[in-house]
Amino acid sequence: MTVRTLKTLYIFVVFVFFSMPLSANPVPGKPAPKFTSITTSGETISLAALKGETIVLEWTNHECPYVRKHYSSGNMQRTQRTLTEEGVIWVSIISSAPELQGYVSAEEANTLSASRGSYTTYTILDSDGSIGRLYGAKTTPQMFLINKSGNIDYMGAIDDRPSSRAESLVGATNYLLKAWEELRLGQGVTLKSTKPYGCSVKYAE
Amino acid sequence: MRVRYTKVSLKGPMHLIKTVCSLLFFLALPAHAGELYSDAYSHSTMQIALETDGFSAGEQHWLAITIEPKSGWHTYWRNPGDSGAAPLFTWSVPNGVTVGSPVYPVPETLPLGPLMNYGYHGNSTLLFPLSVGGDFLDNTIPVSLVAEWLVCEIECVPQVAEITLQIPQGGGVVSSETAATFLTGRSKLPEPSYWDSNFTFSNDFSELLVFADKLDLEKNAQVYFFPDHEGAVSYAAPQEWYWTEFGLKGSFVRDPGSPVPAALGGLLKVTFNDGTSTAYELTPTLTNNVREDTKTLGAAGMPVWQALLFALLGGLILNLMPCVFPVLSLKAFALISANYKTQANRRKEGWAYTFGIWSSFMIIVGVLLLLRSTGAAIGWGFQLQEPMFIGFLGLLMVLVSLSLAGVFYIRLGFEGIGQTHASREGLVGSFSKGVLATLVATPCTAPLMAPAIGFALTQPIVIVFSVFSALAFGLALPFLLLSYSDTLVKLMPRPGIWMEKVKHGLAFPMLLTAAWLVYIYTIQAGAQATLFLLVAMVLLSFGVWLWQQTTSMLGRIVAVAAVAASILLITVPLHTPQSPDRLNSPHTELVYSEEALAELLREDKSVFVYFTAEWCITCKVNEQVALFTDDVQNELVAQEILLMKGDWTNRNAEIAAVLAKYDRAGVPLYLYFPKGEKSAKVLPEILTKNIILEYLANS
Repeated sequence: MTVRTLKTLYIFVVFVFFSMPLSANPVPGKPAPKFTSITTSGETISLAALKGETIVLEWTNHECPYVRKHYSSGNMQRTQRTLTEEGVIWVSIISSAPELQGYVSAEEANTLSASRGSYTTYTILDSDGSIGRLYGAKTTPQMFLINKSGNIDYMGAIDDRPSSRAESLVGATNYLLKAWEELRLGQGVTLKSTKPYGCSVKYAE
Repeated sequence: MRVRYTKVSLKGPMHLIKTVCSLLFFLALPAHAGELYSDAYSHSTMQIALETDGFSAGEQHWLAITIEPKSGWHTYWRNPGDSGAAPLFTWSVPNGVTVGSPVYPVPETLPLGPLMNYGYHGNSTLLFPLSVGGDFLDNTIPVSLVAEWLVCEIECVPQVAEITLQIPQGGGVVSSETAATFLTGRSKLPEPSYWDSNFTFSNDFSELLVFADKLDLEKNAQVYFFPDHEGAVSYAAPQEWYWTEFGLKGSFVRDPGSPVPAALGGLLKVTFNDGTSTAYELTPTLTNNVREDTKTLGAAGMPVWQALLFALLGGLILNLMPCVFPVLSLKAFALISANYKTQANRRKEGWAYTFGIWSSFMIIVGVLLLLRSTGAAIGWGFQLQEPMFIGFLGLLMVLVSLSLAGVFYIRLGFEGIGQTHASREGLVGSFSKGVLATLVATPCTAPLMAPAIGFALTQPIVIVFSVFSALAFGLALPFLLLSYSDTLVKLMPRPGIWMEKVKHGLAFPMLLTAAWLVYIYTIQAGAQATLFLLVAMVLLSFGVWLWQQTTSMLGRIVAVAAVAASILLITVPLHTPQSPDRLNSPHTELVYSEEALAELLREDKSVFVYFTAEWCITCKVNEQVALFTDDVQNELVAQEILLMKGDWTNRNAEIAAVLAKYDRAGVPLYLYFPKGEKSAKVLPEILTKNIILEYLANS
């Protein structure tokens, strides 16, 4: 062993330290895993810095039929509008890896938001899947509601209709809106976690 | 290019034409029902068939929907797993007619990157019960169906069918046209099972106990549980299965944030040795142990600063442990004999040593967390549950002792000790000694360390690494101080020939440690493997010795061959992991299991449970000086307290769960359940006779 091998070892240790899958396991009622990222408009966004705000994380993939159901019917935009008008920060996260379905460049993402009339506050390209894995995001769409003290209040599906057909929205219960209403009225959120449905998040292998 | 997404157009006019056509078709051929519908969609085909030639009022019939995705694509089971979607069917039928929910064939596991799905490659036939009331008088049943099923390869394409059918009246004769569909369809269904089962939810794991007899299942059969609701298991994590005295037990990782289902069913798929498999329907009773509010950072248990302090103190105490002390003495010698060195050099070495310890701790913790994230139920001391690691430690101890005894010199940095050319020590030597100190220290979980480690492993990753850094720092601290303070160095005895003698003497505690490791290895891997380990020790020593004695080609080849053979001997998986029911405790007490304990508590027995492991020195000491003394044993008998043992020598998810429940990441753990009480008194990690007797008396 030389000093050089020591250095290599040091780098290895640091690498192991920081590259570990940080599966912090999001749990309702517990602090949301922290992340820092750059939005498609070039701002730096940090969950820690947003403490004191209510935040929605939406995993999305514009080519997924289940996501398209919610956007082409205007359901997602309505939900976004309802929440953002009341001061909620809405973060859309695209965890598709390059060359996989739903992967877009920052400009494409912004064009997409504009063309769909999205009310999202920020869009994050998470093409290495690190935020997705941090949150254990499995499907698009998948939603997280984070309250002002930084704890998760709701995680799971957007509604109770695991279908790709727009007709299914009639009479559907929007879980995110329901949780938000309860949160706004200062009641405890009754349904904190549901099974998300939709396309798999297109992580790199 | 992997993007292969195809746009689906909901069938517009074409669909209408098809529907009209099929309507006409059925109107034209009223009597021979059988196949009712068949069509191709963009990524799949779909057929609907009735088992009989037509319906008869007052009877139940079976409808089959067969879906076949394109080659390489798949469809989903009733629980699709992490992503995807179960097929959806919305039936509209006249009053008096009902279509029940479908029976699904046994699914396959479909791993997809970090996710796991349940579904089918190739065709799958779903069977729907169609009941026609006795008062249904029409000759045909008009049925309209909206079916939606998802077909995925990597991308997903939903298929939607809006179908109207006419089911004609018939004579109840099984249609020959569709007999094959139903025959193959039924052959793929799960079997009902006569086993009772229980499913227990905890925050981050769950367990399924199937009250099956060992004779029910072939030995070595592979089992897998497909839960039909979200929140039972983390689909992608490996499932662990073993036999307990009550039956077959599966232990699963559970996403702590997932919803606890109100009802749960599922399939137990058994794959036999000849490759065939059968799946059995299970409807377990449910036990919910999910604690809504497990403690958040520092809330219960202990604040972070306290954990850090404990870790630091624990690290300091580790310095005095019998397995670490010899290594440290050497380090001290090196320092004394190097006292002509500049202080700056000493400091550098002090930090290199600290860094060696810290790096090793980080690697161990990193591996621990990695393994945990893949779902292994492990805690601190997990390294020692791996016989290969024990074997490796044993070899290392023998090498170090022979090197100390002067049989040969290994460049671990000891070569300079007590000799005039002490400058050989250097940074690298200090670093390796740090690594060595950590390796040998792992078995000696010092008393103060246990709570700190237990606390750490339930905490966010940053805290885990901070606590272990504090621990590493504590272990390194004495030498760091020594390297900084001239006063301390002056207090050390003068170097001399006595150091060489002491060094030889220190070989014996190291050998003793090796003996103890061999003992653990025997328990874990059996007598035969132990023989191999002992041979490996001799071969390795011989190889290293020979290498240093000779410079001839032949001699060196023999030396390398001997070392290689010794490594081979401990890496070849000779050991058969012991199943829990084979672990015989040396005492006559009961063997811990959750059910057994619950049963005793129901019977209002008082129970003393101790969790131990052969590699846990603290446990063994406690047992010898306190628990197994006559005074304590007599008192237990006098008070009719049953003694129950949980052995954690090998990996065991059930015990890992209990430890976690009491915020421990490792053994020892002592629980006393006084008569008629369901909650335990937790005894301290360090026991004396009096402590136990006091606990027993004060209840």
